Amino acid sequence: MKRPSPEFMIAGVDAVLVKFGDNMNDALPAYLALFRDQVLSELAGVVTEVVPSYMTALVYYDARQIRMYDLEQWLERIAKATPWPADRKRELRTLEVPVCYGGEFGPDLERVAQQANLSTAAVIEKHVSAEYRVAALGFAPGFAYLSGLDESLATPRLSTPRKSIAAGSLGIAAQQTAVYPMAGPGGWNIIGQAVMTWFNPAQEPMTPVEVGDCVVFKSVSEKEFQALMKQERAL
Amino acid sequence: MNTGFLVVKAGIHATLQDTGRFGFQHLGVTTGGALDAASALWANRLLDNAPECAVIEITAGGTELEVQTQTMIAVTGGDLNLTVNGRPQAPWRSFWVRQGDRLKFGYPRYGFRAYVAVQSGFNVPSVLGSVSTVKRERLGGLHGEGSPLADGDFLPCKHLAKEGLARQIPEQYLPDCQGDLVLDLIPGYQQQSFSKQAWSQVWNQSFELSTDSDSMGARLKGDAIEVPAGQLWSEGIAYGAVQVPGDGQPIILLTQRQTLGGYPKLGTILPLSGYALAQRQPGTKLRFRPMTLTSAQQQMRRFLRFFGL
Repeated sequence: MKRPSPEFMIAGVDAVLVKFGDNMNDALPAYLALFRDQVLSELAGVVTEVVPSYMTALVYYDARQIRMYDLEQWLERIAKATPWPADRKRELRTLEVPVCYGGEFGPDLERVAQQANLSTAAVIEKHVSAEYRVAALGFAPGFAYLSGLDESLATPRLSTPRKSIAAGSLGIAAQQTAVYPMAGPGGWNIIGQAVMTWFNPAQEPMTPVEVGDCVVFKSVSEKEFQALMKQERAL
Repeated sequence: MNTGFLVVKAGIHATLQDTGRFGFQHLGVTTGGALDAASALWANRLLDNAPECAVIEITAGGTELEVQTQTMIAVTGGDLNLTVNGRPQAPWRSFWVRQGDRLKFGYPRYGFRAYVAVQSGFNVPSVLGSVSTVKRERLGGLHGEGSPLADGDFLPCKHLAKEGLARQIPEQYLPDCQGDLVLDLIPGYQQQSFSKQAWSQVWNQSFELSTDSDSMGARLKGDAIEVPAGQLWSEGIAYGAVQVPGDGQPIILLTQRQTLGGYPKLGTILPLSGYALAQRQPGTKLRFRPMTLTSAQQQMRRFLRFFGL
C-alpha cells in the first residue's frame, strides 16, 4: 500500500492535526514514530510536541515562530522524506509481556471465548500468537493501544464499565487490546493479568514502549506469574 | 529550621500548580497546570517571580494557611473572602506576611479559584519538569505523587529579611471572573461534519456549566446538539477542544484532559476564554461566538509576551 498523503487541519491556537488517510494500516505506527522524530529534530524550537495516534499526529507549535501555512509546507516535506514503510530504517523494539490468562485474573475470558465461538485455550493461543503494534499511547500514562488483534477476538466494551480494575489487567475492546498501567475504572473485557511496569516517571525510558514498537504476549502459569510479580516488585 | 506555610485546613480542593508539564503527551502524560493561567501568572508577576513558579490553586475555598516564615505573597483570581488574622484582605495585590499570620479563605464572593504565589516560589521538587498536581496520573504536588494538599502539609519557601514593595493590579487589567460568559470558539477541522442545525444551536443557544465539570473538562448542559457519527480511532486533543459525545452535550477539554480522544469536535476555544471559564461556578450561563485562528493567535501572542513566556 502507498503512503497516504497528509491532510492538515486546525486543532487550536497552537496545534495542527496531520492526518494520513482514513484507514488504519500496519505500516502507520512505525512511520509516525519516524515522522515524529524527524519533525522534532528538524523543527526544534518551533514544534514543541508531536502526539502520534493511529493515522494522525497532533503537532503542537509556537505560533509566534511560524505561520500555520509555512508549518504545513515543512510538515509536508518531512512526510515525503520519511521512508515508507519505515520498518527497515528505525530499530524497532519488541517487548515480551508475560500474562496469566483467565481465572480470577481474567474474568471476561469465558465471555470473549463464547462470543468468538472458541475454547478459552484457543482464545489464549490466538492472543499470544499475534504480534501487536503500539498505535497510540494515551488515556493514561503508558496505556498502549495495540493494533493487530485477531479479528475473531474482537469484543465490544462492557455496557457498564467496572468501577475498579487492577493495574496490569489485560483487556480487549473492539479491535484493540491493551494493558491498564494503573488501577482504575474501565470498560474493557479483562482476559488476564500482565507482569510489566508500563509507566515509571523515575525511570529512563519512562514507558517500555513507544508508538511504532512491537508487543507480544506470553502465557504463564499462576505460579510463574506470582514469581515474576515478586521479581518486578523487588526492582 | 524549615520556613514556609503550614496547611492548617486544605479546604475543598487545593493543589500546587504551575504552567504545566510539557513534552510527554506522546506517552499519555497530560499537561496539567493552573486552570486559570492568567490569574496564576499575575500572582507571580506581582512578585517579579519567574512565570513558571509554583502557586497554590484554591478551588471553591475553605483553605487555611499558617505562615511559618516572613515573606511577600500575592493573591489573585476569584475573591474567596480571604482574611489575614481575621481582617479582610482584598485579592489582586501582593502583601507582607509574618510568622504566625493566619490566612483564611472563605467561600467565593465572586469567581471560583484563588491563586497564592510566594516570593521566589514554593520550594517543591518537580516531576517531569513540573510540580503541577494531576491526581489521576499520580504526578506532581508536594510529594510528587499527585496528592492534592492535605491538612498538616508544609510548603517550604524562602524567608525574606526585608519587606518588599506591596503592589496591586490596576483595575483595567483585572481578568474577567464573574457573570455570564461568552466563549470565543475557533471552528475546527470537523466543523463540516456537524449539521447546519447543530451550528445554529451552537451560536444561538445558551448553555449552563454543569456541576460534573472538573479540571479534565468543563461540561455544558443545554438542548442536545445533533452529533455526527464518532470516529473509530482516537487522536491527540489540544487544550480547549470542544467535543460533543453521543448525548449532544459539549465538553470543553481543559488542562488535565486525556491526551487522546475520539469524539467529534466543534473546534477549540481561545485559551483566554478557558481561563475565564475556570473562574465560573457551576450553573453559569455560557454562549459561543466565532473567532478566526489569526485573531486568536494574535491575542495569545500578546498575552504570552506580556507574561514573558
